[in-house]
Amino acid sequence: MIPQIDVAAVAPMIPVALGVLCLPLLEIALLRTPVLLGQRVSAARRGTYLATASVLFLSVSLLLTLNAFSQPPRVFNPENPMVRMDGVALFLMSIVLIGAMLSVLASSKYLEHIHSNWGEFYTLVLSSVTGMMFLVAASDLIMLFLALELMSIPVYALAGFRRASLRSNESAVKYFLIGSFASGILLYGSSLLYGATGSLELDEIATSFDPEDALDLVGAGLVLIGLAFKISSVPFHQWAPDTYEGAPTTISGFMATAVKVAAFGALLRVVTVAFAPVSESVYGVLWVLAALSMTVGNVMALIQRNLKRMLAYSSISHAGYLLIGVIAGGADGTQAVLVYLLAYTFMTVGAFTVISVLARDGEEHDRLDDFAGLSQTRPGLAAVMSICMFSLLGMPGTAGFIGKFLVFSAAVQSGLATGSSSLIWLVVIAVLNSAISLGYYLRVPATMYFHPPRESAQPTGNASFFEGLVLAGCAAAVLLLGLLPQDALPGVSSLLQMADVNVLQLASDAAASFAP
Amino acid sequence: MGDLFDTLLSEHLLSAITFLPLATVLALALCEGLFRLPESVWKYTALVSSLVGLGLTVVLWQRFDSASSGMQLVEFAAWIPAYGIHYSLGIDGIALLLVALTSFLLPVVLLASWTDIHERVRSYLFFMLALQTGMLGAFLSLNLFLFYVFWELMLIPMYFIIGIWGGPRRIYAGLKFFIYTMVGSLLMLVGIVVLAWLHQAQFGTPSFEYYGTNGGTGILDLSIPNAGGAWWQRQGFLFGVFALAFAIKVPMFPFHTWLPDAHVEAPTPGSAVLAGVLLKLGTFGFVRYALPLFPEAALDWAPWIVGLAVVGIVYGALVAWVQTDLKKLVAYSSVSHMGFIVLGLFALNSQGVSGAVLQMVNHGVSTGALFILVGMIYERRHVRDLAAFGGLAKVMPVFATFFAISTLSSIGLPGLNGFIGEFLILLGAFSSLPWATVIATSGVILSAVYMLWAMRSVFFGALSNPANQVLIDLGLREKVVAVALVIPMFWIGVHPSTFTNPMDRAVTELLETMSRRGADLATWQNGGTRVEPLVAATGTETSR
Repeated sequence: MIPQIDVAAVAPMIPVALGVLCLPLLEIALLRTPVLLGQRVSAARRGTYLATASVLFLSVSLLLTLNAFSQPPRVFNPENPMVRMDGVALFLMSIVLIGAMLSVLASSKYLEHIHSNWGEFYTLVLSSVTGMMFLVAASDLIMLFLALELMSIPVYALAGFRRASLRSNESAVKYFLIGSFASGILLYGSSLLYGATGSLELDEIATSFDPEDALDLVGAGLVLIGLAFKISSVPFHQWAPDTYEGAPTTISGFMATAVKVAAFGALLRVVTVAFAPVSESVYGVLWVLAALSMTVGNVMALIQRNLKRMLAYSSISHAGYLLIGVIAGGADGTQAVLVYLLAYTFMTVGAFTVISVLARDGEEHDRLDDFAGLSQTRPGLAAVMSICMFSLLGMPGTAGFIGKFLVFSAAVQSGLATGSSSLIWLVVIAVLNSAISLGYYLRVPATMYFHPPRESAQPTGNASFFEGLVLAGCAAAVLLLGLLPQDALPGVSSLLQMADVNVLQLASDAAASFAP
Repeated sequence: MGDLFDTLLSEHLLSAITFLPLATVLALALCEGLFRLPESVWKYTALVSSLVGLGLTVVLWQRFDSASSGMQLVEFAAWIPAYGIHYSLGIDGIALLLVALTSFLLPVVLLASWTDIHERVRSYLFFMLALQTGMLGAFLSLNLFLFYVFWELMLIPMYFIIGIWGGPRRIYAGLKFFIYTMVGSLLMLVGIVVLAWLHQAQFGTPSFEYYGTNGGTGILDLSIPNAGGAWWQRQGFLFGVFALAFAIKVPMFPFHTWLPDAHVEAPTPGSAVLAGVLLKLGTFGFVRYALPLFPEAALDWAPWIVGLAVVGIVYGALVAWVQTDLKKLVAYSSVSHMGFIVLGLFALNSQGVSGAVLQMVNHGVSTGALFILVGMIYERRHVRDLAAFGGLAKVMPVFATFFAISTLSSIGLPGLNGFIGEFLILLGAFSSLPWATVIATSGVILSAVYMLWAMRSVFFGALSNPANQVLIDLGLREKVVAVALVIPMFWIGVHPSTFTNPMDRAVTELLETMSRRGADLATWQNGGTRVEPLVAATGTETSR
């Protein structure tokens, strides 16, 4: 019997997957242009073409994803719904696609500057994105595992993309070892859950979950640990600083945003759907992870002198803030997580792109000292970096504040509804942590604006067109989302003829469609 | 165009005043991006814009009706309706005075710093005017979310002003200023969010509107228990987080340690605006939010706050006395004087509160003037050490005169503004808090001691230092600045009712709101001895 399969359900994934197949061919074609056209295409040009092609594939996917918002949620196979394209999945897919597009655009020139301009880069990014899109929609533990691996394995390679650099190799090996370890734990947990509940589907796991049975609980715990590794939550975070520091900068940005967004999507779905019967204890565990991630992430970031490392710790602390939204739960908590992830993507990609623009002649300029006096040598870069830093620390008027505000608001509301004070404590811990984070976020604008430029510090030369696009886009998105979160997407909505696109509403509808 | 202008003036006057500075610098920055503007264009445009702002404030003052109650010239626009977050502005008598203070100080400060700031002038003007928008917005917001946005946004320009144009320890001072203020305000944010969701629990929708606009309910209509319920929904906690944010901003002892650093390191205009306006936001926060929203908790906490205020008065004065750096001396005198304002507020009677509000303006003018005058001498000599001066009155008689007037205004000489404010505060405080007032009065004496001491060592004595003998007296621009600063000192001192009339109504309403929301003000105003409620007694008699 052939099952009824709704291929259109997974339409948004298809262009990206197609891109994975086409990009190597395109690269070969570009390499063979002397034969085909009688003219050589320079390596730089080749990178630009490949980046443009990748962005085309990604944007077709994005259009299909946005288009799917207005349609009722679809499942790939009704009898065995491995993929559920609900609002949350679509929203997270959009974020992943936007993050990937920004990272790809920022990469083409950067790869050349670090002498690593090879075409595989784009294929790897796109295959990872395919994995992410399935990951956020996976409603089945097998699908979840496959998607997680499809996402992770290309990123292992990408982390080590600077073949000549020892740090990059170290980064890749560390990420690979710990990542596969985490995948193993997740897989083991899944198998225990399957043994205990007799199902791999998240819905069915929830119905036959026995909160008294040790096997169920251990399985749930192991799955949680596996995902906690992927979102780099303390105490499963040790890989992040080394990996982010060693990986090519745009890939660090990609890992800090798209990979984290996808992993959070999986966590959100598993926790809300499959572990609903044990939500009390799961939230208890997440409470501890959130408090630890925020505190350790922020305190450790204080002592970093390397910006990529600092941003790695900052991303650990942001995982903590995000977990508050997961714990708050309900439509408001989910909405808060979605908006926070969107905001976080723009500000983090923006910050990493600024660092990547400074790379020249095979060298990164990613230490804090390299930013001294940047406001005088590169005022535009300094302005974008400042906007991103103020947004990361949650200054009103920026996207980061809206994200934090929604998370806190969801937590307070949930605390008010349940009458428990533990969430309020978590919010208090979070705001005190935000105060700690001032110490390192402010250091960046302070270095750029208050210190004189160093002799022979920053390389001169302008950002490329693509880089400028990414920087301007991130800064504009951060400010727009911060000042007018209701109408942050007026242009997009008219473009797609969608009736009512405001990010908050979209996120809140998405959250409502998330039916446990 | 003309219609647009009319609408702007008639219906959006508050928005116009608030956003004129920001719009000016954004326009300048845009032009700068298109074709490089000379610095002088920036300078003159900024000055003219701040003068237009002052003109609009005069229009506002005339438009303001002292007799009517509640918020006036209210503006409302939906912002994030799902959360009850709106753009709503309005003004009452107290905010009017502080808006006027801000609009007055800005052009004066810009003129005073005309030659003082000569590096990166464009950025300086950008941050200065952005700061003005932040301050005005915080005074005028009627939505707690909007208030928080403006409250926090003020930090960024001030941080850059201290950090770029400040003294040797500017980076440390800027960071300290930022962190202190932010710790308090982040906790306040938790309180604000709790209030919004309490509004949902009590009225069905979340709202950050302070006084329900358009006939709706607002935060001020919430009934917040002072005992019972979860700890974080009680007045005690909520008042605590609001009061902490405001106490840091004021700054009250022991949260004052950021202030000497920030003041000493900040450039002259930064110090003048910081002391002149930013500190007032702390006391304004008490008046507008902490007191009326949580009156019972305010009374519970009041003895502690009064105690800290008195400690601040005496401690600030004593520390100011031993300073050898003129700017640090003025900075510590601020700690002492701001203590007086808090004392007056927590007298919680009409004289005390009126005196406190008036003293906010007075302190803004006098301390702003002192910082600007200290800046003028620093611009000439590049030292601020008291020992480096002496006998300046001989070479700079005009400067000495203006400095003397500002000093006398600061220590409360009758006929000048400081006297009126201090007198009202002491009058009000003595009936509610006799003992605290007795101790606080020593602060008045001490302030005379250290200010006159400083005056003597700077202006009188032998003109022995050769570097001082060649000092040039004030130029025309500086004279204009000094005269502008001295006018309100005399005005408030001689004819205070110009300034007290508009706020009388708001002060009465504050006390009425507190009583209506359950605070036993009568007992507090009587120095803690319970007053038998007269109305109830009459009621029983008639029923008999």
